[in-house]
Amino acid sequence: MAVTQQEASARRGWRRRDRRGTAGLLAGPLIWLLLFFVIPVAFVAAYSVGAVDLFPTDPGVVSLASWQRLLTGGSVYMGLFWKSIRMSLTVSAIVVLLAYPTGYFLALCVGRRKYVLLLLIIAPFLTSYLLRVLAWKVILGDAGVINSFLSWTGMQSPDDPITWFLYSRFTVMLVLAYIWVPFVALPVFVSLDKLDKSLLEAASDLGASRWRTFVRVTLPLSLSGVFAAFLFVFIPTIGEFVTPLLVGGTSGYMYGNSIQDLFTKGLDWQTGSTLALFLLGVVAVLMAAFGRFLRVRAVVA
Amino acid sequence: MTEIATSPGARRALTIFFSSLVLFLYVPIVVLAVFSFNDGDVSFPLAGFTLDWYRRFFSNPKILQSLERSAIVAAISSVIAVGLGVTASFALLRRRFFGKSAVSALLFSPLVVPYLVFGISLLVIFTAVDKFLAASTGSYIGLGLHAVVIGHVVVSLPYTVLTIMPLLERLSVDLEEAAKDLGADPWQSFRRVTLPLLMPAIVSAFMIAFTLSFDEYAIASFLAGETPTWPVYLFAQLRVPSQLPQLLAVSSVVLVASLGVVLAAEIGRRLAERRYGDDLRPAP
Repeated sequence: MAVTQQEASARRGWRRRDRRGTAGLLAGPLIWLLLFFVIPVAFVAAYSVGAVDLFPTDPGVVSLASWQRLLTGGSVYMGLFWKSIRMSLTVSAIVVLLAYPTGYFLALCVGRRKYVLLLLIIAPFLTSYLLRVLAWKVILGDAGVINSFLSWTGMQSPDDPITWFLYSRFTVMLVLAYIWVPFVALPVFVSLDKLDKSLLEAASDLGASRWRTFVRVTLPLSLSGVFAAFLFVFIPTIGEFVTPLLVGGTSGYMYGNSIQDLFTKGLDWQTGSTLALFLLGVVAVLMAAFGRFLRVRAVVA
Repeated sequence: MTEIATSPGARRALTIFFSSLVLFLYVPIVVLAVFSFNDGDVSFPLAGFTLDWYRRFFSNPKILQSLERSAIVAAISSVIAVGLGVTASFALLRRRFFGKSAVSALLFSPLVVPYLVFGISLLVIFTAVDKFLAASTGSYIGLGLHAVVIGHVVVSLPYTVLTIMPLLERLSVDLEEAAKDLGADPWQSFRRVTLPLLMPAIVSAFMIAFTLSFDEYAIASFLAGETPTWPVYLFAQLRVPSQLPQLLAVSSVVLVASLGVVLAAEIGRRLAERRYGDDLRPAP
């Protein structure tokens, strides 16, 4: 009896120490994220409604005025927002259309070399984002690689370079697609790779053609990967501002650029905070609605 | 198997498609590298081979300084991110506690928060703290590399957790229990048993966090202040056409180095996971 009591109290002691240990393990990451992530974002939220002010030009009264300006009456920023949404949707669709056959090829056609080839596709994503955008700027510029090549070979007069290559909406979308294809091949590959191959054999044994097998079996079973791929592109590209800044010019200007300009050039931080928080809200809604498709761990592990 | 998935014709079409995609992905990078060796400006015709741009870059103090800053920021932020990532992974996999799903949602949320929004949030909070300090004590912190480090730790943390958790999950709890039964305290069992086994994942997490930070522009552009890191410096210099070939030279070096590091990290991680796969699973 005494022994079991002792044991029980020892176990309680362990559990208490365990709980303290858990708190110790969590303290570092949680405090860091609280101080440098949660509080700053909350502060931006407070700033957007005028609950705090930093500059003499800030209104200094709590009001939803800046939110009202953004959300109603067809503000410039709302127009930009929808333009960015359209561009992101287009880019995501293009990227998925490019990534699907890639994932399909790797998962179902190449056998043992598939991981090596997958790495070949993914590797560019792991190098500098800025440099990959820069490469396109160098290639597409007025005096850039393509134009100078055309004029050197006499196919185009040097005084008349193809100018729509750079600083257009098309270029922004081209470069964004270029940036994201490698990353998105991964979720498509994973969903096709873990697909139970005996289902395909069954479909074929039952007399389905290859095309029918694809439409009725393979495609439906890989749709979760397709959704994940779509979101993996869509979410980061809505807030994009670096690529339009480098290759977009005025016609490729996106919602994210207006946020950056409000903070660095216009110095209207309150409006900037409102725009930034609205963007975050949109991402949060997307995650809440579709987040279950993004099982990040399943993809990475 | 593959005969069911694709007809020979479709297979050929897919092979061609795949090869063109690889070309599309690599040609721009190769173009960058080629023109860094070109004895002239960045346009056709190629004017001949030179190492001059590389020589100039190695004797350009501003470029070297910005690279050094990025290396310092990357080293410090990745060490912190890996440290926090290890403890977070342990808590998530080895402990039971209230609100675990909320904690893991918070840990992974920097993956989806736009860097732009996060960058300006830190900018705003630093400005606010400085305003408060200036009013109350007359001093201030200011922006700079410390601010960049703080931001990079936040965005690297989910990647380190994602790299460490899969391996930690495979390490049997029995090993830690055995260490405990043999009289080791939790720290000893971590230090002598778990940490060495976890080392491959820790090394790759470090390399991933390092390259992420070294290349990061969006957050750093708001926080670097008067001390531009390499991407921030590169961006600012793009306005000066005469600088371009030199910048391409640095870029090529950085590209090759970061590709090498990341591939090494990935290969190391896969090898380690395969090696541990069979003999360290929990006893049935």
